[in-house]
Amino acid sequence: MKDTVHAARPGGGRGGILDREGALAKLLIAPAVLYIVAMIGAPFVLAVLYSLSDATTGDPSLHLVGFRNFAAVLEDPVFRLALRNTFVFTLLSQSIVIVLSRILANALLKPFRGKWLVRFLILLPWTAPISLGTIGWLWMFDSIFSPIDWVLRYLGLLGTATGLLGPQTNMYWLGVPGLAMASVIIVNVWRILPLATVIQLGGLSSIPKDLIEAAEVDGASPWRRTLMITIPLTLPIVSIAFLFGIVFTFTDLVVVYVLTRGGPVQSTQVLSSWTFFKGIEAGDLAQGAAISLFMFPVLAVVAILILRMARRTEVV
Amino acid sequence: MAKRKLLTRRDFIKAAGVGVVAAGVAPTIFIPRYAHGASKELKILVWSHFVPRFDKEFYDKFAAKWGEANGIKVTVDHIGLAEIPSRTAAEISAGQGHDLIEWIAPPSQFEPSVLDLGDVVKDAEKMYGKQHPLCHRSSYNPNTKKTYCFIPGWTIDPGNYRKSLWEKAGKGAGPTTWEDLITYGGKIKREQGIQLGIGLSQELDSNMAARALLWSYDTSIQDARENVVLGNPKTVEAVKYMARLYKEAMVPEVFAWTAVSNNQALIAGRASYILNSISAYRSAQKEVPEIAKDIYFTPALKGPRGTGFSCEHVIYSYIVPQKAKNVENAKKFLLHLVGNYDQAMYYSELYNSPAFFDTHIPSGNRGYAPVRGAKKLRDLHNAWFSDDPFALPGEAKGKLAVLKDAEKWSTNIGHPGPANPAEGEVFATFVLPNMLAGAARGAKAETAVAEADKATRTIFAKWREKKLVGGKV
Repeated sequence: MKDTVHAARPGGGRGGILDREGALAKLLIAPAVLYIVAMIGAPFVLAVLYSLSDATTGDPSLHLVGFRNFAAVLEDPVFRLALRNTFVFTLLSQSIVIVLSRILANALLKPFRGKWLVRFLILLPWTAPISLGTIGWLWMFDSIFSPIDWVLRYLGLLGTATGLLGPQTNMYWLGVPGLAMASVIIVNVWRILPLATVIQLGGLSSIPKDLIEAAEVDGASPWRRTLMITIPLTLPIVSIAFLFGIVFTFTDLVVVYVLTRGGPVQSTQVLSSWTFFKGIEAGDLAQGAAISLFMFPVLAVVAILILRMARRTEVV
Repeated sequence: MAKRKLLTRRDFIKAAGVGVVAAGVAPTIFIPRYAHGASKELKILVWSHFVPRFDKEFYDKFAAKWGEANGIKVTVDHIGLAEIPSRTAAEISAGQGHDLIEWIAPPSQFEPSVLDLGDVVKDAEKMYGKQHPLCHRSSYNPNTKKTYCFIPGWTIDPGNYRKSLWEKAGKGAGPTTWEDLITYGGKIKREQGIQLGIGLSQELDSNMAARALLWSYDTSIQDARENVVLGNPKTVEAVKYMARLYKEAMVPEVFAWTAVSNNQALIAGRASYILNSISAYRSAQKEVPEIAKDIYFTPALKGPRGTGFSCEHVIYSYIVPQKAKNVENAKKFLLHLVGNYDQAMYYSELYNSPAFFDTHIPSGNRGYAPVRGAKKLRDLHNAWFSDDPFALPGEAKGKLAVLKDAEKWSTNIGHPGPANPAEGEVFATFVLPNMLAGAARGAKAETAVAEADKATRTIFAKWREKKLVGGKV
């Protein structure tokens, strides 16, 4: 094939780089590789080096001290709590996201008036900067001025002796550990839901209509059609949505930092926020790096799974 | 006709190389050597002040004017206080950025990467008199003998109370002891439905309140020699007190306290007492004057044995990174700032207090009504706190008078010792507010103290290894 191409070139001579497929492929992929090395590879290597050193923000020079930071981090009860919280926060958020995004995607497949507006509104949280959106939620959960509390009081659920939620005037969303974690999860679900819905919509749209129609003709109930056709056919793409959501949630700092700063009493502290407090605010860069590296195994496994899923989807 | 010789690639590279070298070397040949030191630039990074007019009407103009007078191009960048640590770390790590960086807490963890400003303190003391001890303890490391930052001013952290509520409860003059908060604050909550607002959260104000409580209970994180002494019966006593206070006079909002909660609670009429600088009161003056007129102040509350200390609310700490390019300009600017601190006090609406009280007030138009007989900053401090120039029409006179002797009952993070990186990490990881909050939420006081003591000892041991913290235990 190559010989044919060379022979066909007017003027003959040596082939340029554009004619050598292998070299051209490397050339074209080079910017992406360089980008990954510079933006991900180098900081990762630096994080590993920092975690093995005694670097501080005031003295970032590298004096290696072995695995001392990892040992110190593992002994820290706040770290262990943050590790547990990270899993709880991530898994709960993503489970809710998958269920809600499926419901939303199904609804958005149906024709109805103002569908474009609904789609736009659903996508809005994804387009807004995370910090801005979270600041908006901070007001929603405010201890004094929460509009949610106002509605609950208006409905008589809060602030009366017989109120279902108690006689106090406010819920104190961010001041009670369980409610604070729930608030953090709600905001994260709000943020990730648009992406997951769009992915699910794509999956549902790709199911051949004749398959559904055939099942209907055969008398399959909607529940059976969902179980036997929709779920199996959309599983690969739903899994990808789930895994992407895990990556976004597992590494998120903004929601926790803006809403609770890890409180009350560290009850919403997660690995990324604890990394920031320890590594930057407290100045212990080395321990901060060590804490952040505990996210790596989980993220690596998720990345491998995403790639496998993507390949499987490609084959299908 | 001779063929014109084109410039070959080799010739071009040679010519370009010579050009580049010449351009690099020329300034060292033709410009006098002293010109290297006389830079004409100064880059300053400061926080966005809580009082907006301070930046707009004073600091930016003041810096620009000084630059014009000295032929120096001054750039002032403002950032939110939450961004200061990460920005400083990035600039130190990159070895470039601003020549002066202002912190609002002692930046002791940056000591290895910043210049010793002991010479600026010496010059300032020669020109303006002694620096306040709490500022000295917040900027000087006695172990390394290094002044890692320069402090021209600080902010007082008094108690703010609603007089009408406290009058009804039978204590119109406001609380004088921590126990009063339970006795009368509890009564106000029960009878008038208004709680107290002392943060037990993972943020700045809660950290300061926790320290004030401990000091007033004659205990602290470290002693004067930087030995950890947190785990002792007096700390347990203070923690038990906070658990009682929460139960009697507060609600769960204190666990979600933020830097703006003081203002919010006071302005909304939902706090009978807060522990904060006068900024919440100033906000109330602008937004809810009738509540502002009802706000009065108390000095540090006294503990069971009569001790009463309050933590400085803000300490203006300037660092000069080792890689700063305009060091001399930075030092000159700092001295000039101290010499003009009367304007910093005024334009911050008395939020800023001076570190050098004996500084003479410069002559001429200072931007405020002259104060009769005032020669030094101390005179201004006393006069303005006696008769607040920002009081609302019809507002009672002398409400701020209790702040006149604030320097006697205010102290630094690290008290009774100096500020240091270990104290800084204990602060940044919220060890004390969580110790108090844990007990308030039902944990045993002894257990909460033991856990906090253990965490503190680990932190101190780590920084002690780096020779930045003294003490042995």
